[in-house]
Amino acid sequence: MQVDEDYFHNPPPGSAAARAVEFGIDLTLTLENLRLTPEERILKLDDHLAGIAWLKANARLIPPSEATAHESS
Amino acid sequence: MKAVRSQLEFLGRHDIECVISGGVAGTLHGSAIPTTALDVCYSRTTANLLRLAAALQSVNARLRNAPADLPFLLDAETLRKGLNFTFVTDVGDLDLLGEVRGIGSYDAAVEGASSFQVLGHEFKVIALDKLILAKRAAGRAKDLIAVAELEAILGGKAHSDEQ
Repeated sequence: MQVDEDYFHNPPPGSAAARAVEFGIDLTLTLENLRLTPEERILKLDDHLAGIAWLKANARLIPPSEATAHESS
Repeated sequence: MKAVRSQLEFLGRHDIECVISGGVAGTLHGSAIPTTALDVCYSRTTANLLRLAAALQSVNARLRNAPADLPFLLDAETLRKGLNFTFVTDVGDLDLLGEVRGIGSYDAAVEGASSFQVLGHEFKVIALDKLILAKRAAGRAKDLIAVAELEAILGGKAHSDEQ
């Protein structure tokens, strides 16, 4: 799909893109996806899900008593 | 992890007559909002129900969030008597919808659907404007966030067409 990137970078006033930005949507991420083929979008989604699964399996909450203190200079 | 990829390959391999909706439909249309379960609205013809039941059996499908001892016979007749099912399977979570909220049955969902070639298979994906209607009908906070982005994508397409 040919994407008019300027529509997402500089949404026309009153456009759906402008409303989305106002709503808090980061359209730079949307634009990144629109540049991909549909298959690449699915593979990217799976990579993201794999990353979340890895984090869940490997991250450990460190109790405050064991956490390293970071002193500001 | 190849969750969504595996699910799509599963649907394509078994030639399930269905239309992809939900978050994965959003992804295929260009949304950057991640999703986990694959939602598909399936055709309820007898031939498709038979194919679907056999396919689900082959990936050890069982009801999600149901007691392990709940009697459940996975066959075409059970699918015919029910409507919407949420399964956990060997290829990931799969939500089978007899109807898409705000849109209706398979026939309504597939009308005007986009066709995407992915992983060697052709998939019907609910049209972007219908996906927006469905998300609005669902009405949860996460759906309304998706609506804002999907409307921007639809607006971008219209803008490109005008140029």
